[in-house]
Amino acid sequence: MNERPPASRTRFGVGLLLGLVVALGGGWALLRGARAQLEDDWITRRAIVAANALGALVGQAPDDAAVRKAVTAWQETHPPGTRVRVIRGTTLEASTEPADTGEKAAPRRLAREEKPLYDQAQRLRAGVDTNREGGAPKPELEVEREGGARRVAVPLEADGKVTGMVHVLVPADASTGRRSPLQAVLLLFGAMLLYVLGAWLLPPRAALLAVASTALFCLAAAFFVGGELRALGLAERDGQRALAGTVAAEVDRTRTLTGAATLDGGAWDTDLTRKPRGLITGAGAIDREKGEAEAQEIRRRALRSLMALGALGFVLLVVVGFGGANRVGRALVSNRQAYAYIAPAIIGTTLLVFFPFFYGIALSFTDSNIYNTNLPLSELWVGLRNYGTILGDFGVVRRAADGHWVFNYLNFYWTFLFTVIWTITNVVWGVSFGLLLALVLNTKGLALRPIYRVLLILPWAMPNYITALIWKGMFHRQFGVVNQVLAIFGFEPLSWFDRPFTSFLTALATNGWLSFPFMMVVSLGALQSIPADLYEAARVDGASRWQQFRAITLPSLKPALVPAVILSVVWTFNMFNIIYLVTAGEPGGSTEILITQAYKYAFQRYQYGYAAAYATIIFAILLVYGTIQNRVTRATEAL
Amino acid sequence: MRNLLVVLAAVVGVVVPGTAAAQAKLVAWHSYRGGEKSAFEKVVAAYNARPDTKIKVDPLAVPFDAFADKISAAVPRGKGPDIFIYAQDRMGGWVEAGNTVEPIDFYVDDALKGRFIPTTVEALTYRGNLYGLPLDYKVIALIHNKKLLKTPPKTTGELVKVAQGLTSKGAGKFGLAWSYGDFYYVASLLNGFGGGVFDKSTRPTMNAPENVKALELLVKWEKAGFMPAEPSSALITSLFNEEKAPMVFSGPWFLGEVASGIDYGVAPLPTIDEAGGKPMRPWMTVEGVFVSAQSQHKDAAFEFAKYVTGAEAGKVMALEGRQSPALKAVYDDPKVQADPVLSAFRKQVEVAVPMPNVAEMTMMWSPATTALNKVNAGNSPKEAMDVAQKALQKDVDALRKKK
Repeated sequence: MNERPPASRTRFGVGLLLGLVVALGGGWALLRGARAQLEDDWITRRAIVAANALGALVGQAPDDAAVRKAVTAWQETHPPGTRVRVIRGTTLEASTEPADTGEKAAPRRLAREEKPLYDQAQRLRAGVDTNREGGAPKPELEVEREGGARRVAVPLEADGKVTGMVHVLVPADASTGRRSPLQAVLLLFGAMLLYVLGAWLLPPRAALLAVASTALFCLAAAFFVGGELRALGLAERDGQRALAGTVAAEVDRTRTLTGAATLDGGAWDTDLTRKPRGLITGAGAIDREKGEAEAQEIRRRALRSLMALGALGFVLLVVVGFGGANRVGRALVSNRQAYAYIAPAIIGTTLLVFFPFFYGIALSFTDSNIYNTNLPLSELWVGLRNYGTILGDFGVVRRAADGHWVFNYLNFYWTFLFTVIWTITNVVWGVSFGLLLALVLNTKGLALRPIYRVLLILPWAMPNYITALIWKGMFHRQFGVVNQVLAIFGFEPLSWFDRPFTSFLTALATNGWLSFPFMMVVSLGALQSIPADLYEAARVDGASRWQQFRAITLPSLKPALVPAVILSVVWTFNMFNIIYLVTAGEPGGSTEILITQAYKYAFQRYQYGYAAAYATIIFAILLVYGTIQNRVTRATEAL
Repeated sequence: MRNLLVVLAAVVGVVVPGTAAAQAKLVAWHSYRGGEKSAFEKVVAAYNARPDTKIKVDPLAVPFDAFADKISAAVPRGKGPDIFIYAQDRMGGWVEAGNTVEPIDFYVDDALKGRFIPTTVEALTYRGNLYGLPLDYKVIALIHNKKLLKTPPKTTGELVKVAQGLTSKGAGKFGLAWSYGDFYYVASLLNGFGGGVFDKSTRPTMNAPENVKALELLVKWEKAGFMPAEPSSALITSLFNEEKAPMVFSGPWFLGEVASGIDYGVAPLPTIDEAGGKPMRPWMTVEGVFVSAQSQHKDAAFEFAKYVTGAEAGKVMALEGRQSPALKAVYDDPKVQADPVLSAFRKQVEVAVPMPNVAEMTMMWSPATTALNKVNAGNSPKEAMDVAQKALQKDVDALRKKK
C-alpha cells in the first residue's frame, strides 16, 4: 500500500529528467548544429559570388588570349589557394592549377581522365537550356565541398549561348573559433549528478534536492539554449555582412580589371539556378528588408524546432510518469526469450514493410516526379495538394456539344465506383459459385471426387499472369475462341474491348474463373466440419432441403466464409494482374481500377508523389472497410 | 564432421580457382534472337580476336520484354552490364533518372559523328548531348507482292487508284493492309503533313492543324473502303500471306513473317498529294550502343561501341543479321547495294523522322491511341485531337510544376 506514492514520484522524477534532457539538451545540440550549417552555407554563398564574378569577367573577354590574361589577373588579386580552370568544348582554355604547366599548359585538349569536367560543363549547359525553355528547374551551377574550401562550376556564356564552363576552387578562409562545449556539458552533468547523489545519500532530503537540482538544470540549460539562439542570430548577421563585403570586394576587383563603370554585384549572389536572391544591392550593401526577413526566417525555424522538441519532452514526461515505459520495460524483461525469437521478424518487417509504407506516405505529401528525384523531400513538400486534386475533382461526367454524355475516365470517383462494382460482382460470383461447387463436391458417395477436386483447383494453381494472357487472346475479335463460339450460335462477333461494358465482362469472366477455387476450398473445408447428426435431426423434424441449408449450413459456414470474404474483397480490390493484362484499361481508361491507375500515374506519367497519394487513399479505403467488416461480424457472432 | 570438411574443401576448391581465373571483362547485353543474335556474336568474336583488344567482351542475350526495366533497375546500382544495345525510346527517361547512360560526346569528334546517317545521331541526342552510337535503324516502308502488283505507287493519288482496283470486299481482298489503328504507323502520315506530337521544347502539339489534316486523309481512305476493318497485325500478316492484300505498310519485322513463296518487294512510302507532294515520314527507331554510367571500363566499352558500329561489323550485321546499319559506309559495299530490301530501307530512312526520345513519350501513347480509336470509329479528328492535347498537356505540366 505504501509503495505506490514513492514509486510514482520516482517515475515522474525520471520522466521529468528525461523530458528536460531531451527538450533542452536536444535543443541546445540542434541549435549548435544549425549554426554550423548556417556558417557552412554562408561560405558556399560567398564562393558562389566569387565564381559568378569570375564567370562574368571571363565571359566579357573577347578572345582566348584575353581570357588567359583575365584569369591570371584574377589569380593575382585573390588569396593564393584559389585555382581557376576555363573549359570551352573539349579544350582547356586557361588554368591556374600548378599541375597545368609546361607540357600540360593551357590551351590544350582535355585528357581522358578529365572527362568528368567535360561532362560537368555539358550538364550545366543542359541546365541553362532547360531553364530557358521553361522546363522543370535544373541547377545551372554546381558546388562541391572540400572541407572549408569550395569548388564552384559556372557556365561560360558568349552571345547568350553557353560555350563552356569556369571552374573555381575557393580556398577556406580562417575558421571561426568554436566555443568549447565542455562547460555546458559539465554544468548539466553536474546537476544530474547532484540529484542522483542526493536521492541516494539523503533520502529524507531527496525531494528538496530533486527540486533544487532540477531548477539548476533548467537554469543552466536555458542559459545555454538562449546563448545558442542568440549566437545563431549573430551568425546570420555576420554572414550577411561578410557576403556584402565579398560582393563589394569582387565588384571593386572586377572594376579594376575591366574598367567597367557600373556592375550589378548583387546579381552574383544566386541560388543553384542562378536566380539572384536579392539580398545584396548592386553597390554591395545589404537590402535591409530582405536581410531582416532572412534573419526572422532562421529564427522562426529554430523556434519551431525547439517547440517540437519541447513537445517531445512533454510526451516523454507523460509516458514515463504515468508508467508506460515501466510497463513496456517489465513486459520486455519478463518475455525476454519470446522477444528474442521474434526480433529477426520485427527487424525484417520494419525494413521491408513499415519503412516503405511510411516512406510512401511521406512521398504522397510531396511533388516528386522524374525530374526532381535528386532533390530532398523537404524541398518538394506540397502538403495535402495531391489529396486535394484526387478527392476534390468531381467532374466525372459532362454533356458534350452533340448531347451525349462524356465520361472522364481518369477521375478518381469513376475509377473508385468501377473498382467497387468490380469487387462486389467478383466476390458475389466467387462465393456463390464456389459454395455451389463445394456443396456438389460434398455429396456423399460422389465418384472420382479427388479428380474433380484437382481439376477444379487448377485455375487457382496456374500462374494467373499466363492464364490472364490466354483469356485476353480468347476474346480477340478475329481469332478468339469466344467470338467463334458466338458465331456458331449465330450471334455477331463482338469487339470486346471497344466498349466499357463488354470490356468489363472480359475481366469479370477471367477473374470469375480464377477466383472460385479459393472459395470452393474454404467452403468445402467448412462443410466437412459440420456434424452429420444435425442434418439427421433436421430431417427427422421434417425440414426441407432448403430449410436445412438456411438453418444449419449457412450459419456453420459463416466463421470460415467471413474471413475468406474479407480476404477476397481486399485481393479483388487490388487485382492488378487481371485488369492490367486482360483489358489494360481499354477502352480509353474506362476499365481501370484504382491500383492500375496509380501504377500508370507512377510509371507512365512519372508523377511519383501523386501516385503515392493514390496508393495511400487505397490503403485508407481498405482499412476503413476492414475495420467496419470486423465490427459487423463480431457483432453478429455475439448473437 | 569429416563430411562437413570434405564439403567445405570441395566448395573452396571450386570457388578459389574460379575467382582467380576471373579477369576484367566487358559485359554486353542485347535482346537479339535468331539470325541477328548469331551475327552479333560473330562480331563480338571478331572483336575479341583482334590483337589490340585490351578487354574482351562477353555478350548476354536478355529477353526484350523486361530489358528496359532490368536496365533501369540494375545499372544505377552498379549491377548491370558495361554496354547495352537498345532503342532510343526509353533514353530520355534513363538520362533524367541519372546514373544509367554515360554521355559520350567527349569521345566523339565530328569525323566520327559524320560517319553515320545524321538523323540516327539525332535520335540518340538528348538536350544536346550524345548518349550512344547508332547501330541500326528500323522504319516502315511499302512492302508489296510483286506478283499482284509489279510497280508500287509513288503518290497517294496513285495509291488510292491502285488499291481500289485491287479491292474486292466479297472475296475478302483489300488493296492496302496496314495497322492504321496503331499510332506508331499513323505517325508517318502526321509527320508527312508537317505535324508531330512534340515540338523542340517538348511541348505537346497533338492538335496541330497538320495532324488534323493527316487524320482527315486517313478517314478519307477508310471511307474509300480499300483497307480492312480492325487491322490487327495477325490479320495483316494473314492477308498478305494469302495474297489477299498486295500492299502493306510495315517494317523489317514484317519480313520475317512473310510466307516463303511470296515474291515481295520493298519500296519507299508514297508522297502525299494532299500535302503538296511531301513524302510520308515514318518514325525511325534507332538502336544505339550505350555505355553504362557505372561501368568500370568506360574507355574500353566505348572502343567496342566504335567497333560494333564500324564498317566491318556493319557488313556482317547487314548481310547475316538482316539489320539496316546506321553507318553510311556500309551501303557502299556491292553486296549490300545488291540487296533490294536493304537499299529500299536506306532510301526510306532519308525522309524518316527520329522518334522522340524524351521521357514524356510514355505518357503520349494513351491519349494518342484513344484519339485514333475515336477517329477510326467515325468521330471528328479535330475534337479527338483536342481532347488528346488537353490530356497530354496536363500530364506534361504536372512534371514541370515549380511547386
